[in-house]
Amino acid sequence: MALLSFERKYRVRGGTLIGGDLFDFWVGPFYVGFFGVTTAISALLGTLLIVYAASLGPTWNIWLISIAPPDISYGLALAPLREGGFWQVITICAIVAFVSWALREVEICRKLGIGYHVPFAYGFAIFAYISLEVIRPFLLGAWGFGFPYGIFSHLDWVSNTGYQYLHFHYNPAHMIAVSFFFVTGGALAFHGALVLSSVNPAPGEAVKSPEYEDSFFRDTIGYSVGTLGIHRLGLFCALSAGFWSAICIIISGPLWTRGWPEWWSWWLNLPIWS
Amino acid sequence: MARYQNMFTQVQLRGPLEAGPPLRDATFTRTGTGFYNYWLGKFGNAQIGPVYLGTLGMASLMFAFLAFEIIGLNMFASVNWNPVQFVRQLPWLALEPPGPEYGFSLFVPLAKGGWWMFAGFCMTTSLILWFLRTYRRARSLGMGTHVAWAFAAGIFLIITLGFIRPMLMGSWAEAVPFGIFPHLDWTAAFSIRYGNLFYNPFHCLSIAFLYGSTLLFAMHGATILAVGRYGGEREIEQITDRGTASERAALFWRWTMGFNATMESIHRWAWWFAVLTPLTGGIGILLTGTVVDNWYLWAVTHHYAPGYPSTGVIDPATLPGAPK
Amino acid sequence: MKRFTQRTALVAVGGLGLALLAGCEIGPKQSTQTGYRGTGADQIVDVKHAVKTAAIPPEPYPLPPDGGQKAGEAYQNVKVLSGVSTERFNHLMAEISQWVAPPEQGCAYCHNPENMASDEKYTKVVARRMIQMTQQINSTWSPHVQKVGVTCYTCHRGNGVPQYKWALPAGAPHPGSIRGDRHNQNELSADAAYSDLPTTGFADYLLDAKTIRVNTTQALPKYDGKGASVQTAEESYGLMMHMSKSLGVNCTFCHNTRAFAAWNLSRPQRVTAWYGIRMVRDVNNAYIGSLQSVFPDNHDRKGPHGDPYKVNCMTCHQGQNLPLGGVSLMAQAPALWGSVAAYTKGAAAPAAAPGPVPVALNAMPATAAKP
Repeated sequence: MALLSFERKYRVRGGTLIGGDLFDFWVGPFYVGFFGVTTAISALLGTLLIVYAASLGPTWNIWLISIAPPDISYGLALAPLREGGFWQVITICAIVAFVSWALREVEICRKLGIGYHVPFAYGFAIFAYISLEVIRPFLLGAWGFGFPYGIFSHLDWVSNTGYQYLHFHYNPAHMIAVSFFFVTGGALAFHGALVLSSVNPAPGEAVKSPEYEDSFFRDTIGYSVGTLGIHRLGLFCALSAGFWSAICIIISGPLWTRGWPEWWSWWLNLPIWS
Repeated sequence: MARYQNMFTQVQLRGPLEAGPPLRDATFTRTGTGFYNYWLGKFGNAQIGPVYLGTLGMASLMFAFLAFEIIGLNMFASVNWNPVQFVRQLPWLALEPPGPEYGFSLFVPLAKGGWWMFAGFCMTTSLILWFLRTYRRARSLGMGTHVAWAFAAGIFLIITLGFIRPMLMGSWAEAVPFGIFPHLDWTAAFSIRYGNLFYNPFHCLSIAFLYGSTLLFAMHGATILAVGRYGGEREIEQITDRGTASERAALFWRWTMGFNATMESIHRWAWWFAVLTPLTGGIGILLTGTVVDNWYLWAVTHHYAPGYPSTGVIDPATLPGAPK
Repeated sequence: MKRFTQRTALVAVGGLGLALLAGCEIGPKQSTQTGYRGTGADQIVDVKHAVKTAAIPPEPYPLPPDGGQKAGEAYQNVKVLSGVSTERFNHLMAEISQWVAPPEQGCAYCHNPENMASDEKYTKVVARRMIQMTQQINSTWSPHVQKVGVTCYTCHRGNGVPQYKWALPAGAPHPGSIRGDRHNQNELSADAAYSDLPTTGFADYLLDAKTIRVNTTQALPKYDGKGASVQTAEESYGLMMHMSKSLGVNCTFCHNTRAFAAWNLSRPQRVTAWYGIRMVRDVNNAYIGSLQSVFPDNHDRKGPHGDPYKVNCMTCHQGQNLPLGGVSLMAQAPALWGSVAAYTKGAAAPAAAPGPVPVALNAMPATAAKP
């Protein structure tokens, strides 16, 4: 059940970064490896800590549970468990789990003889997370600047942190990030649609080749980036979205404390206008 | 390093330009024969053009040009036709919709929002004509019409923001202004007015699909590039006749997260995630003000607004003898 | 070729990075938590760019003891401060000339030196009304000014006309035309903290009493056509931008922005601000508005519509959460603490006005709410 029809010939030993053959096995469909073990331990520990911290809180309502970071008066020190310490340990578990997951992906890439693009891309997501929970709090000098672990409470954090800068939409890096998110969404829609429209053609038609895909976009907008290019473009846009998201929050506070609209006065005051 | 990871094309082929398969039921022929661009060829296809203009395409471009001109000239006029100030202040300039005093009247003086209505009409017409064009271009090549419907999902969101919801609310003033900073102000004020859009469940869904789309494209793009050495980008061939690229791509995800899409189904995941972003977003907009007036209070009613210690502050307006 | 490309790319990336960082604040930051932990309610201030209190001029001479002859007895045409002792009256006059009058004019800014009692200079009439206003602010509006109080210096800072003021907006220069019409927004104005939000809030909230609350108090719509429009929300937001900028704070100084309207999530500072809006409205209507015909028709004193310049949050606060950094000048101007009983010939000496209590109000307690 666990094996696909073609899977057996790919299940070979080797490719591990650490641990040699010791963890070089599968559990069901999952590859384990050394980093699978560290992922499992840290993810399980983090999840259990969330559940335990939630049990100390006032509610089991999944929308309301919130594990908050310490008060900023604790600075970069450790806080008592119930005063934000749980948040600190959970954050460490999360980072270990995410990094382990990325390294496990590297091992799988090596085993399959494919490029490292996926773990590289995943690194941007980890970077965005670490920016929010480690880099910016570190630059501001207190773990209390991190966001809380709660489905809606983290949105309250986003709201308040945004309004610390009066109007966050004026943050230039936020503008770039949102634009990349929208462009990625649009490009994904068009790429998915184009492939589907080729292999699910009009009734009674044969499946269409990439020449038709290229022609469709050339006919419509004069250029088709091509089957390889669209994946480069998609990856670039998606990673840019994550990267600029991280930048937009790192600069908010450490590099700019006033309203973001005011930041634009440098443009208005350029000497070229007079 | 980058070139060995298949990020840039190392060898570009040059031969006769692709003319494209013959078009069916087309009024015009394709314009131009195309040309090569070396630097573009580093990243994607080197060939630019030919293009099919067609009736719908030209009509769409005409309306898009009209909308662009109306918006631009209104902004230009607002700085007294001063070209330097036009460039300097461009991100701040706006073409504002009619004020609340005009309700949803179809006849608003041009200077009071009438131009906004014209621009909106031209933009919407342009988008719908372009939607029809993508439909006809696909059919002319014998392809499915998935691109057209994906595009339609985006148009739905735009029309919801600029027309359907203002109509339901009975006021053009609810609509979005044209302008870079002005539309951002609208977005923020809209959230404030209706009690925080973060508590709008459809806004949550839309954001989840938007982030999901980005995640999917990162995963998919990275996977295809990673198996590029096995010809992974030839997706249609891999769909119809599975090769080792598709197998390795599938196994990568199966071994990583216990589940994998197929070369075709990943594009269905992609299409739905991307299309559901504006669809759920549009529904969230449609419900705001029409069905729910204060999302935060709605969240309190339905037990999904987290509690924080009360500050004990009370509204001074409720105190006896409070000033007005 | 390759090296050239790399260098070009490097320069481009570097240039873009520099452009994005232009005007950023690199220096050390000071933070204060203003809400429950993890809600993101914090004030982060760049120490170098924080507005510092300018040097306050020293008292012209020490406040003389109360008692003795009353000003109303000694001088002619004293209407508001007749019950103040002559010594203290003269002391206050010296202060006012230091706080308000241009140095080269001194007393002559308001008085005819030949006849100090004469009301021939409009500035003297204005000054009398402003003294009444200051007394009103310090007594009736103590929920806003608290025990720090205000003096002429809080706004004037040595200027005849306070530096920060506003008047009714000029509006569209060509009615019925789009030419030059910015719809009172999109104006790159410091009054909206440089956002595109409207600045019409000054007239609507600080002069007229338009409802600033745009949220409804129930989750579902009422369909009564009375709900605020998004444009009204922008106007309200615009005034709040002004307020934040004037105080050098961000939205979370008063609000938990998850629900701007909710008072039980707001800080006490929001109550202070609530009284402040009403105080400014009172000042603009009852005091400055009443001087409409007294002010001369020139553009140092009146806006494009001929209305006298009015006050907003920036007039006093000038970028500080506590004007003048919370320093109270009330101890050296006790006559401004509230209205002083008028001098009537032969009447018993009235009880002294309540003494000012300078308090360095800590309006930003660093402690956060604990669960």
